[in-house]
Amino acid sequence: MSEKTIVADIDRSRYDFRFEEDESNYLGSGLTAEIVTELSQEKGDPEWMRDLRLHSLDIYNKTKMVEWGPSIDELDVDKIVTYIRQKSRMNTDWNDVPEDIKKTFENLGIPQAERESLAGVGAQYDSELVYHNVRKEVAQSGVVYTDLESAMHDERYGEIIKSHFMKLVPPTDHKFAALHGAVWSGGSFVYVPKGVRLEIPLQSYFRLNAKGAGQFEHTLIILEEDSYLHFIEGCSAPKYYEAGLHAGCVELYVGKNATLRYSTIENWSKNMYNLNTKRALVSQGGKIEWVSGSFGSHVSYLYPMSILNGEGARAEFTGITFAGEGQNLDTGAKMIHNAPNTSSYMNTKSISKSGGISTFRSAVVVKENAVGSKSSVSCESLMLDKISRSDTVPAMDIRTKYADIGHEAKIGRISDESVFYLMSRGMSEQDAKAMIVRGFADNVSKELPLEYAMEMNNLIGLEMHGSIG
Amino acid sequence: MSQLLSIKELKVSAEDKPLLHGVSLDIQSGSTHVLMGPNGAGKSTLGLTVMGSPEYTVTGGKIFFEGEDITDESAYERAKRGIFLSFQNPVEIPGITLSEFLRNSLEQISGKHMKLWDFKKKLKAAMEILNMDSSYADRDLNVGFSGGEKKKSEILQLLMLEPKLAILDETDSGLDVDAVKTVSQGINEYKSRTGGSLLIITHNTKILEALNVDRTHILAAGKITAQGGAELVDDVITNGFDRYISGE
Amino acid sequence: MSTVKLNTLPAPTFSWLGVNDIQADVGALDNGTYALDNGSCTEVLSGGAYEITAQGGEIREAVMFISPNDSAQVSTTVKAGGSSAVRLVQVFDGKAQTVSSVKALLEDDTGFELVQLYLGTGSTISEIDTQLGGRKSEFTANIGYLLGGDDKLDINLIARHLGKKTKSQITAKGVMNDSAQKTFKGTIDFVSGSAGASGAENEDVLLIGEKVVNKTVPLILCAEEDVEGSHGASIGRVDEEHIFYMQSRGLPQEKIVQLMAQSKIAQIVNTIADEQVRARINNKIGRGKDDE
Repeated sequence: MSEKTIVADIDRSRYDFRFEEDESNYLGSGLTAEIVTELSQEKGDPEWMRDLRLHSLDIYNKTKMVEWGPSIDELDVDKIVTYIRQKSRMNTDWNDVPEDIKKTFENLGIPQAERESLAGVGAQYDSELVYHNVRKEVAQSGVVYTDLESAMHDERYGEIIKSHFMKLVPPTDHKFAALHGAVWSGGSFVYVPKGVRLEIPLQSYFRLNAKGAGQFEHTLIILEEDSYLHFIEGCSAPKYYEAGLHAGCVELYVGKNATLRYSTIENWSKNMYNLNTKRALVSQGGKIEWVSGSFGSHVSYLYPMSILNGEGARAEFTGITFAGEGQNLDTGAKMIHNAPNTSSYMNTKSISKSGGISTFRSAVVVKENAVGSKSSVSCESLMLDKISRSDTVPAMDIRTKYADIGHEAKIGRISDESVFYLMSRGMSEQDAKAMIVRGFADNVSKELPLEYAMEMNNLIGLEMHGSIG
Repeated sequence: MSQLLSIKELKVSAEDKPLLHGVSLDIQSGSTHVLMGPNGAGKSTLGLTVMGSPEYTVTGGKIFFEGEDITDESAYERAKRGIFLSFQNPVEIPGITLSEFLRNSLEQISGKHMKLWDFKKKLKAAMEILNMDSSYADRDLNVGFSGGEKKKSEILQLLMLEPKLAILDETDSGLDVDAVKTVSQGINEYKSRTGGSLLIITHNTKILEALNVDRTHILAAGKITAQGGAELVDDVITNGFDRYISGE
Repeated sequence: MSTVKLNTLPAPTFSWLGVNDIQADVGALDNGTYALDNGSCTEVLSGGAYEITAQGGEIREAVMFISPNDSAQVSTTVKAGGSSAVRLVQVFDGKAQTVSSVKALLEDDTGFELVQLYLGTGSTISEIDTQLGGRKSEFTANIGYLLGGDDKLDINLIARHLGKKTKSQITAKGVMNDSAQKTFKGTIDFVSGSAGASGAENEDVLLIGEKVVNKTVPLILCAEEDVEGSHGASIGRVDEEHIFYMQSRGLPQEKIVQLMAQSKIAQIVNTIADEQVRARINNKIGRGKDDE
């Protein structure tokens, strides 16, 4: 199986490119009410949004930094340019996309991917959506897939956005949720009507391509009753020397008996602070399936939360985290059982290498009313050398006796016997280890569409060759 | 002989998958029945459903015991009526000894307190019949027991609880020749002492050699495809199940 | 008396879970440390500092029944010098707030076996901090709790693997009835240099009360490649397979729950070697009363 995976021909430069930015597009450093107001005006926000931004800024200034997790002392938020206006406006036709941006996307393979199997592309280049196209059949099914900013002004969607935006992740949630509320920019809005089951995945690519720029995109997805959607969020960013910040926010509303699969392969450049907040609210009989691969960034705090709010709601989280040199990736998931007969399932793997730190952190909360609920957590960590670090920090808070909660975790290294076995079949030590690591990661790769699974295997190959080669 | 168990047109499914499609079967007091059939026919399903396993849902038909409808009763109520199932894979309960467990069971089923000395005497006698070392009484229930020891522990419970109907689900599988002999002795002891009825689910004839089989039922694909006397067992052993399946 | 933070989680997590530490009012400990004699059984009725020490080749055993009438702090220091072993049993059944700490230092080729039983504890804050400093030192902890009423129990256990080829085995089993609250934090910390170490931790909790609050926080911290660590937890009711089996043997629901509760605690009690101590505990929890 793994033997057929293509690891050859990996060109690291594919993930490390950028084009010159026009400095005049920066909005200025630091964060004040003036900047937020200016941003709001520039975007032509409705009044409620301007108020929300200013209110969020207020909360941001009052909220303490988190007191647990990896250090973010080196991150100077005030110095991070919060917004970069893209010269280009929205495009619906690929031909109108500016040439340098187009080149970036071509390097990322977006048009090809689109031609092949993707339903639509909502790609964020820096802070604004520059390319957006949904295939006709998707639009005909009544599915709305558009950029959040323009949808906000559309009378068809304005109200629904207002009633859902930052309701699931309120600005009071934590300091970076507040920051997001103040300066968010760009992102996607997806609405799937009742009974519509979209068989082809929707895809969005995020990139950060300006020195010192923050990225604060917002994703809002609403699934009505009995609908199905697979949304793929891909991130990869060029390398920079100054600290960058990603404080995005994802809010997912899964209606009654609806299913949403949300897949992410995140590969931010190794100087990024990825402080992303993702949350799903699942109604009766609905299901959220998270598939999450974390490879990039300097520091990550990422724990998608599933709130199982209706009877029989379910959540699955499948994740992999690969922390290499200079990386401190703190990832996991949160499951909140807030209704009877809900179930959650977590399966994660993490890999630490070349001094990288990976932490699996989770919370499973079963409230008094969540009778008949089930939860199962399984996490496994792999240490590839003795200069790295791997921590497992799960927590369970169970408040009803009518529950079945299971948890298991393991930590270890690649066994010498496995390496020896593969070497005895003619493989080099590096290849043997890379193959074992890819096998270790197969909980995630088998959940991804083929081209993504290959992409992820390539990433693992790249990371592995960094130290062993 | 009076009617002990009567299964009428029983339909059973598990996780929405239908497993039994209208099975009828009658067992008289004091008789010995054999249930045979290929793998996956639903034999264990039938045994577990008669015992009241929550994993199986009765979607049609009824189960009567001594003339009373027990279809919706819990396993606990059925056990009190005198139904016993020997499990293929009995659970392990660390921290509770076999003897403690049996004493609790016996008191619940008989509804009366038993003097410790009387209990120990009875237990010792039963263990001797099964060639069980007396130390097993003080070991945690089924914990660290081998497959054969677990089967013996089940037959020990049969001898202690003395039910009216004993369903033995593949009690002989995985046992060596000597162990089958010992288990057979236990079953004979139960039979001769209590005059109880047996429903023996098996692939094997060895366990039947020492018993007088009154009736044989063949279950295939969730249906009874043939019934007969003891001669049916020999026929299946010689010719296999094919003709009972192809009749479908 | 002053308010202090106790039972600090070695790696803090989401603060809203309220498991990072616990605040309590504590006073200063009396002067003086009582040495626990080998084979002793000590009734601890008020606070104090205790010590048990084993030197080369020795095996030292001590039992402590900790049941103070007023709120008390009990601290116990365990020192195991080269090639020695310490076995310590602590039974908590006081009604007043008890703050307990066990600090153990293990040198080369030593063993420390700790059994702790919490039998209806009122409010107990208990920390166990074991430093597996010496090569091939081993730590075994067997912790049982039987909580009911408004009992509150907060345990913070840390097994710090410093030495090479060190081993820890942590088992916790308990039953929670009524509106009992319990937090069990167990940390296996593989410090850099602890090559060849292994650690395993398991908690098995039976919830039988309608208003229980159970928090389980099993950490593995790892800065060494050549180690094996695992933890598992199982929380909730008696599983269906067990219920069906026991029902089929004529046991009603209440009896099944009672037996399963007994099963949990008995697994810990059975790890105590001393028969008299076992009998005394069984008597306290009402097991085997009508026998003989």
